[in-house]
Amino acid sequence: MKSIWENYNTDVAYDELMYSEYQPRPVSHSLCQYLNSLNKENIDKRKIAAELAIMEMGISFTVYSDEGNIDRAWPFDIIPRILDAKEWKIIEKGLRQRLTALNCFISDVYGEQNFIKDGKMPGEIVNSSKNFRKECVGMKPRHGVWANICGTDLVRDKDGIMYVLEDNLRVPSGVSYMLENRVITKRVFPELFQDINILPIDDYPTQLLEMLSSIAPHQNGKPQIVVLTPGIYNSAYFEHAFLAQQMGAQLVEGSDLLVDDDDCVYMRTIEGLTKVDVIYRRIDDDFLDPEVFRKDSALGVSGLMRAWKAGNVGLANAPGAGVADDKVVYAYVPEMIRYFLNEEPILPNVPTYLCSDPEHLDYVLAHLAELVVKPANESGGYGMLVGPHATAEEVEAFRHIIQDNPRNYIAQPTLSISTAPTLCNDKLEPRHIDLRPFILQGENTFVTAGGLTRVALKKGSLVVNSSQGGGSKDTWIISMEEG
Amino acid sequence: MLSRSAERLYWLARYLERTENIARLVSVHMNLLMDLPKGVEMGWQQLISINGAEQEFFGKYNVVNERNVTRFLLVDANYAGSLFASLSAARENIRTSRDLLPDEAWEHVNEMYLHTKTNLDTVSSRHGRSLFLNEILKGCQRFTGLLSGYMSHNNPYRFIRIGRNLERADMTSRILDLASLLLSESRSDEVRQYETILWMNILKALNGLLMYRQSVRSRINGDDVLDFLLLNTDFPRSIGCCVEEISHSIQLLPNHESLPEKIVGLQSYVQAIDIQQVTQLQLRGILDDLQNKLGDLHGQIADNWFLSTPEI
Repeated sequence: MKSIWENYNTDVAYDELMYSEYQPRPVSHSLCQYLNSLNKENIDKRKIAAELAIMEMGISFTVYSDEGNIDRAWPFDIIPRILDAKEWKIIEKGLRQRLTALNCFISDVYGEQNFIKDGKMPGEIVNSSKNFRKECVGMKPRHGVWANICGTDLVRDKDGIMYVLEDNLRVPSGVSYMLENRVITKRVFPELFQDINILPIDDYPTQLLEMLSSIAPHQNGKPQIVVLTPGIYNSAYFEHAFLAQQMGAQLVEGSDLLVDDDDCVYMRTIEGLTKVDVIYRRIDDDFLDPEVFRKDSALGVSGLMRAWKAGNVGLANAPGAGVADDKVVYAYVPEMIRYFLNEEPILPNVPTYLCSDPEHLDYVLAHLAELVVKPANESGGYGMLVGPHATAEEVEAFRHIIQDNPRNYIAQPTLSISTAPTLCNDKLEPRHIDLRPFILQGENTFVTAGGLTRVALKKGSLVVNSSQGGGSKDTWIISMEEG
Repeated sequence: MLSRSAERLYWLARYLERTENIARLVSVHMNLLMDLPKGVEMGWQQLISINGAEQEFFGKYNVVNERNVTRFLLVDANYAGSLFASLSAARENIRTSRDLLPDEAWEHVNEMYLHTKTNLDTVSSRHGRSLFLNEILKGCQRFTGLLSGYMSHNNPYRFIRIGRNLERADMTSRILDLASLLLSESRSDEVRQYETILWMNILKALNGLLMYRQSVRSRINGDDVLDFLLLNTDFPRSIGCCVEEISHSIQLLPNHESLPEKIVGLQSYVQAIDIQQVTQLQLRGILDDLQNKLGDLHGQIADNWFLSTPEI
């Protein structure tokens, strides 16, 4: 019988679990030993069990298409991705440092603007950012924190170093899948949890609830917390419902809320109007309040900004926090860490060329075929150019797009992002992965143990987004020291 | 509790109860057919009539026969009153109410939905249909038990209870309607002869045979069965009991002040029904009236607690 590891190729990129075809890294030793003890049929059974669990638990995401919105089962690979707790400790520290600096920066942008005045960043970048909200100038959210929930994307290059690819500070999603992936893995491989020391992750909802409570306007009694969703047609609706349920919070839509003449937020309940203290909003700034932002928004709540500015309601993330979720601003994060915290960055950025800088632009245009070019403000992997994978025509077309609006584009070298063994037709094959840990910041800071590992299921593909053929894996942080 | 959530839970319960009731209705009809001798006039038309679905049915089919009627009532996703459409609607309501219910509740309904969806084709044979209906009945019962055992009997639970009992009362009245329809339409003595079998099947359809015997302690006859299923306040599928459950749940909800009067009206209406003196035709009138009154009660509940379109 052939081994599931046969011809496993570790030359594609840095492999998270394997040195070579049959030689596991120390962290994955126990897992590999266990997998080798199962025959193919057995592995297949586990895979089917996982698929069934996903169907039954109804873990889904919504894909928008011409034929209407379809709920798709969450694509999941049963082979976990593993990180050593020692390495994780450093990453975790780096993530805390980074979010702390980002929050200092956002406070500064809407306050004194010393970072700009001291010449660390051209003011033009902030002024031209579409996520800069002038309505927020002068606001001081509780604990000086604007981005309370952050999902930071990390990738490992061939040099083995973890780089920060981007910080998602608007409405990052994926944490429910991280939690559900663990539930499924426990069902599928219960034996492994007995033998391996895997850090638990299920305290996230509790931590989220605690963080949200810490930003309530009044710290007496139990605050009324709600999760504000755009509704069932949103691709992340499953997650909104899941988090509300796990926290015991109310899941509300815009039409459930209203802002009264006293500038307080109320929800419509069977008992009449009930005051709301904290809103975990999963709606973009643009749609949040038709009084201030987009007038045609039917998803938001009229007067919400009024209530927030009057200090009558806590909003997570704060409106305007997205100003730091911009790929041009990203390039300045290492400088922010030095400036605001007086520390050296623990996690490196990917080298970034700003097309708004004429020198950088020249370089980018001359090396388009080797670079990855991204729009500054999009998410979901849309509207980007992956030079080495693009045709000559695509490259030329993109050249014009960049020249028309250089401020809107950045470029980075094409990373050879790391791989992990993934079950493809009875056999393990390397597939590219990234990692999205979630960081909470309110009165305290909390980092998930690991995060959501996304995997590009198509051979050779580097795009891990679920909307574009990506899947996910459970992520294990394991302690190698004898406990 | 959000008005929106109250509405969704109420409908979740109604749709699931409807799913169960359609399964019961089709089961009892199949049983009756098996018990009645060949040649006795009894068709599938009545199942369409009591659901008031003639127009929709004949828009899709030309012939009223077992195959068409069961397909229409059980698996037609485009007929809003079908079993599968009701189950799908229940699933949609619970999918959007997961924050209020135990995890198992959603998983259970989702499983039921997936199982039903993959077995839609099995209803064409009587054997396959029996198994299919049995699974549905078991699934619905399990859901009720699951909530009763896992969920706090709080306001969300009360809306579920109201929805369930309103739908149940409605369906019991329709099943009685079916019986009186069969009896009033039959001119032959032959059917009369089998009246006992008919009433026995009606009781079975509502899982009430044993409870009827314990309560009535006499041979099965139409008047007693009607009495039992309309007025008894202990048997969960009798209309009297459903109305009492609704009343009880309503009294425990906030802002209920405007409702008790209506409920008391309904209760006394039900208790005043005197079966001994009515003809089959009058009975059908009473049942129709009852269905309208249940409809009114629904309207009042919706006005009182559910989300009205916000003024802009």
